[in-house]
Amino acid sequence: MSDRKTFNVDFDSDDTGEQKLWAALEELPREAPSANMRRSFYRELDRVNSASWAERLGGWMGINGNAGWVTVAACVLIGIGMGQSFDMTDPEEPMRLEVLEQNVALLNRELILDRLEDATAGRRLRGVIDASNVVQDDAEITRALLVRATEDSVYSVRSAAIDALGPRMSSAAVGNELMILLENAESPLVQLALVDLVLRNGNDAQLQQLLQLSDKGRLHPDLTKHVNNYLGSESI
Amino acid sequence: MQAVSDEQLIEWVAGGDASCLGTLFERHNRGVYQYCRQLTRNSAQAEDLAQEVFLKILRKAGSFRREGTFKAWMFNIARNVTLDYLRKAKRQGVTVPVEDAVGQQLVDHRSAEQAAAGKQNMSLVARAMANLPAAVQDVIWLGRFEFDTYEELGQALGCKAGTARVRMHRAMQQLNAEFATINGAPIDV
Repeated sequence: MSDRKTFNVDFDSDDTGEQKLWAALEELPREAPSANMRRSFYRELDRVNSASWAERLGGWMGINGNAGWVTVAACVLIGIGMGQSFDMTDPEEPMRLEVLEQNVALLNRELILDRLEDATAGRRLRGVIDASNVVQDDAEITRALLVRATEDSVYSVRSAAIDALGPRMSSAAVGNELMILLENAESPLVQLALVDLVLRNGNDAQLQQLLQLSDKGRLHPDLTKHVNNYLGSESI
Repeated sequence: MQAVSDEQLIEWVAGGDASCLGTLFERHNRGVYQYCRQLTRNSAQAEDLAQEVFLKILRKAGSFRREGTFKAWMFNIARNVTLDYLRKAKRQGVTVPVEDAVGQQLVDHRSAEQAAAGKQNMSLVARAMANLPAAVQDVIWLGRFEFDTYEELGQALGCKAGTARVRMHRAMQQLNAEFATINGAPIDV
């Protein structure tokens, strides 16, 4: 049986042959799939739906993959350890607690670094957001953020990484990297994130550099206006 | 008029209710199958591909954005799945048995003579279509049977409406030339 219900776009042509062909196409046979396809599809859908509880739980918690589960297991063990340590009236208790806290922080840091290098843009973005809370104190996370800010193929991740690096603008290494990035950035979105960052957190030298770039026409025209408006009334 | 739109259903699928995929499958499996059948010219292969399309929809449901219609998004997936399959088959030198569905499928209510002429013409149109590259056939098929605006067709093809219109014109020119080559003369219906 054929399904004769058709849509079709408005095709107009000066060529009579093409018009006739367009009309003749209506009669092309369109057979229905066999009942086997329906059965096979629902069987497969059932199979997918009955995935193991661990996979589903992992999916709900956003911890797909072995690394996620290892982290969860480690956190549970640490939690048990902490619980036991509270029960003890050992004089070394505060020290043990401190060690456990350090371990948790270490695991958290590893998780952030893993996320920053994840193949999925969404997870990298989440890593950037998590990293923005610890960036001031951790050189390795700062480096990983710089890599995201300079190399990530997804603009939103780059922009978020630039934003997260804001509090470190005063550090010479980070400040220089970001200013080099601004000089080379071609995407208006990335330029906007960087300009905004310099305007909010930049020192005098960085603001001067920004003005020079603006004067040389290296920024998007709208951003040039924005910079001039913003800095017009201020003396540097 | 459907009580629940395709777009709402796919959002529910993305939210974890995979049973809604069944409704989408019931609404669209025939169109997807026919599209895959046209490009592969093999019923069994088309059924496998159509099933793969819907399972891919399940996996990618979360990435659907209401920037276009569900149907256009679905056919974009169907297009990628089918063209990928054809590319792989070609690379690996796999020959898919080609079936001729024209003989059994044509429904013609005209006189016997007209019907015979029409059937012959149709056979030639079907052959001309089948001789075109898959990427050309798919423009014609989707534009002729699945979408009624170039905007939606463009979404399915992954291009803008204007580009879809140009591609359709070029595709029809190719079909016309192919028909004339096979028939020895332009179509005369």
